[in-house]
Amino acid sequence: MSITEIRLDKFTAFEKLKMEFSPGVNVFVGANGTGKTHILKVLYSACDITKSQMDFAEKLIRVFLPSGRALGRLVKRHKVSSRCTIEIFRANLKMRASFSNHSVAAKKATITGLKEWNNQKIESVFIPVKEMLSNAPGFRSLYSQREVHFEEIYSDILDRAYRPALKGPTGRDRKALLKDLQLAIEGKVMQSQEEFFLYNKQGNLEFSLLAEGMRKLGLLWLLIQNGTLLKGSVLFWDEPESNLNPKLFGMLIEILLKLQRMGVQVFLVTHDYVILKEFDLRREKNDKIDFHALYRDKETGEIQYNLAKSYLEINPNVIAETFADIYDREVERSLGRKG
Amino acid sequence: MPVFTEGNLRINFPIQPVKFDDPTSHGLTNCMKAVDFIVEEDDRILLIELKDPEDPKSSQVEKSKWIKKFLNGEIDEDLKYKCRDSFLYKWASDQIGKPFYYLVLVAIDSLTPADLLGRTDELKRKLPIEGPTGIWQRKFVNSCTVFNIQEWNKHLPAYHISRI
Repeated sequence: MSITEIRLDKFTAFEKLKMEFSPGVNVFVGANGTGKTHILKVLYSACDITKSQMDFAEKLIRVFLPSGRALGRLVKRHKVSSRCTIEIFRANLKMRASFSNHSVAAKKATITGLKEWNNQKIESVFIPVKEMLSNAPGFRSLYSQREVHFEEIYSDILDRAYRPALKGPTGRDRKALLKDLQLAIEGKVMQSQEEFFLYNKQGNLEFSLLAEGMRKLGLLWLLIQNGTLLKGSVLFWDEPESNLNPKLFGMLIEILLKLQRMGVQVFLVTHDYVILKEFDLRREKNDKIDFHALYRDKETGEIQYNLAKSYLEINPNVIAETFADIYDREVERSLGRKG
Repeated sequence: MPVFTEGNLRINFPIQPVKFDDPTSHGLTNCMKAVDFIVEEDDRILLIELKDPEDPKSSQVEKSKWIKKFLNGEIDEDLKYKCRDSFLYKWASDQIGKPFYYLVLVAIDSLTPADLLGRTDELKRKLPIEGPTGIWQRKFVNSCTVFNIQEWNKHLPAYHISRI
């Protein structure tokens, strides 16, 4: 059962926001500081607790890491006392969390709908901007034993990556995806004593010696191979373009579209034109892709949102606007003058 | 002001252009490629090439095929030889006293500035605009730019183009 809607009231950067989601791919675009990653994190937290059984407010603290681990710091700053509300929907299921800016501990939050919410388990993965697999050895034990200042998404992604391969035969779709990725990374990913290696004809190559983009594709291979990304799961990916050569973007988007066709719900944040355009060029008739454009309203300064069903409808499209500006200056330079 | 039609496009000129790819007046279209128009302004010479894959007379298959070829760079080959051969023709005619600018219109509405920027850069590399450092002492064309109709009219209002 996919995530269908979120309503935020005075949460982090948002005064009031309501977004509806595609059961397929959801692409977030917008300038820095428009809260794209915050939305991914809050949705991810809501998915993760169905499996980990952690308290939702506690998960928010661990994922957002507010100063002093004080929950109330996630309430949008106002001059007076205020209270935030988060409502997340999966069709008829609804979980609601509410807490004030004075709340410090997670237990101060009021959460409703949790029992039904947690009864319907949902597998989820958050791939952060920074690659973690090369830092894996020892990180998980360090994270579980010590108060290290790392958002929990970094520890969680390693937990997912360390999972052993799924029992039973690999379906045709998954096999094809793994093959595509193997071609790109030129091998398979192996794990030995908490360390990840790329295994190919030349032997084993430790992840720390691989290009960062390749490590990301290796991680995706692992998540498909160990069955984390299966029908009904949710993938959150923050800036998949980082450290990846644009030539690989087409293949990457093809894989995300295929995962969507297999029933994986995808949420991704991007600042990259090629990523957007590849979705536009590679989408097939029945693919379900929503583009969510976040922006700050010029008059109120508050974050607003427009939903677009196609690339050309994205408004505002800060990425395209930047290219348009560069193009205008390029034409002026090429012509040596205006007109 | 002179007005010309090229397929399904109408183009206004602020001064009289030369319809350059006319086989009779060119005389060498059997062995040299030619741009559609050449315009000699006071301080520059414009080589103008118009491509109209969205001409309503073209079939949908033809249009899609053309757009694919344009985006993967295959059309660049045609564009580069048109520019080089037109320049060579003018050189042999001893008519190269002003800097040349190559302007290409690709009449596809869906092309974004990012696409146009990419194709412009690639065409610059293929012409090429710059020669080896220290060897080429001059450019044969000063620059080239790829436009769609909207961008053309925005940047070159005196050469307004419209669909018939």
